[in-house]
Amino acid sequence: MDDRHPPPVSASRRAFLHGIPLLTAAAALAPAPARAGDARHQWAMLIDVRKCIGCQACTVACLQENAVPAGSFRTIVSTYSVKLTDAAQPAGIYLLPRLCNHCDNPPCVPVCPVGATFKRDDGIVVVDGGRCVGCAYCVQACPYDARFINHDTGEADKCTFCAHRVEAGLLPACVETCVGGARIFGDLNAPKGELRRRLEEAKPDLKVLKPELATEPRVFYIGLDARFQGKVEGQGTLWQPRATHA
Amino acid sequence: MSPDIVETVNVAREVPWLPWAVQYFFLIGLSYGAFLVSLPGLVFRRAGWEGSARLALLAALVCGLTAPVALLADLHQPGRFWHFYAYFTPSSWMSWGAFFIPVYLTGLMLYAWLAFRPLLARLAGEGGRCAGLARTLAYGGHDSRNALVAAAALAFVGAALVAFYTGVEVMLVRARPLWDTPLLPLQFFVTAIAGGLGLTLLFNRYAPGTANGSATRRLASALAASQFIALLVGAVWLALGLSGLAPTHAQALAQVSPSANWQLSAVWAVAASVLTLLLAWKRPGSGVLLGLLALHSAWMMRWTIFIGGQQVPKTGAGYYSYQLPLGPEGLMGIVGTAGLWLFLFVALTTLLPLERLGRAGQTGA
Repeated sequence: MDDRHPPPVSASRRAFLHGIPLLTAAAALAPAPARAGDARHQWAMLIDVRKCIGCQACTVACLQENAVPAGSFRTIVSTYSVKLTDAAQPAGIYLLPRLCNHCDNPPCVPVCPVGATFKRDDGIVVVDGGRCVGCAYCVQACPYDARFINHDTGEADKCTFCAHRVEAGLLPACVETCVGGARIFGDLNAPKGELRRRLEEAKPDLKVLKPELATEPRVFYIGLDARFQGKVEGQGTLWQPRATHA
Repeated sequence: MSPDIVETVNVAREVPWLPWAVQYFFLIGLSYGAFLVSLPGLVFRRAGWEGSARLALLAALVCGLTAPVALLADLHQPGRFWHFYAYFTPSSWMSWGAFFIPVYLTGLMLYAWLAFRPLLARLAGEGGRCAGLARTLAYGGHDSRNALVAAAALAFVGAALVAFYTGVEVMLVRARPLWDTPLLPLQFFVTAIAGGLGLTLLFNRYAPGTANGSATRRLASALAASQFIALLVGAVWLALGLSGLAPTHAQALAQVSPSANWQLSAVWAVAASVLTLLLAWKRPGSGVLLGLLALHSAWMMRWTIFIGGQQVPKTGAGYYSYQLPLGPEGLMGIVGTAGLWLFLFVALTTLLPLERLGRAGQTGA
């Protein structure tokens, strides 16, 4: 053997070493979340609080449809007893269905440290559960208290407008079950759709929650009393589902 | 609060940032606070600061190594912490923080190693159970001045970034008016410095044979200054809220002022700061009491801001009630971080006894 020449470098080793940067780059880039959703649609909801009867059928339907753990809620009808001064009866009830507002300028999205929460092309704000680290920064950033940490998954959870149902051509569970027809779901891009028609009709009375924050909610309200548009000034509720004390 | 509206049905959201988060903000604050206290003696070689500077560096190290564990435990999916590095998101200050913490800790550990090397070599020479380990860690035991300054500079950049991000990431939460104030990072910073001084005072007091009156007085006067600034910042916050000049302050004040708990917390915080200020000013020799008071104020401030702040509903009426759970989501989080802190303290002081660190002189001989 001629020892003046070094042994040939293994071609396979060279190929392997060349491949390392490629593998590293691919590992970093591959699991980008799918920005799903058809951009031809822009989903939104209109809630006519005058029609809500406070039956909480939407609350229960949502819990069932989305297997929300006990004590947590993606939607609920906040119920208030309001003293009346201009009627014979002493007090009335004010009902306000709440859910994620699927904001056009969602404060929950930029704060997520791992890009797990994002707005889909069809306007629905979702959480990529597999990527979420459960830091709850988005829970803090949401001005509507619409997010929570799901105790079963350890991930941030919220209303998705029942995206899985919408993709199958169905209505969100809360809309489907609403007894009073108070929730209207539809596509802002469909000029002849019911949502657009109802929004146009109600235009002077349309309101959103906390407009001063410029989050541009995609959940609109008819009959929203100004006293309930932001943080409600009143006596707090006594019912706390996960509290261990009375 | 309007007596005309009573909420009858609503959801009470849980506190999603747990006591672990309070522990993290407390310990990382103590760490960078104590690190800054170590600079006059070790980097600028100010006479009389050497002993307390080494004790401050030990405090920075113990707290700095404990803090990230508390942060990790506050994640509801701690096993996915690597996502912070795989999916960097520049719009999120928390994402930046995941990179700032290693910068700070790398600088801090290098700085501590370079500062303690000569002492480690001396301890190795004296024999004892840890002599072998001390010799290995001393790695020759050279007093590398330039390297020490370079490591301190790296740690300083890291500390500044950590102090900045921990304040800003909370300040930017517009959904919580109580947090949404540019004064919050300053309040975190001032109380962190006070806490760092407090822990150094305690170490200084409990380092046998080193109880150094002049060092205690120096630390006490720095603590008095920090309390004065803390009170000043608090007064500015209150003035902005009462005058209505800053709507977010006015909103925050309106949210918390009707609550008896908040009134008590405010009175408590002011009283503790005034007491610390007066003690540090009039009786600067009372090192233990001063140290405990400063640590208590730094912790209370963070507990009130985080746990108290999360009890204010963003949309609902009144307040959410919070009871400290006894398990890992509550008390065990506090006890657990305290236990880890204690373990690291014992481990490090076994190798580097407090009395040797606290001794006057350039290298703690």
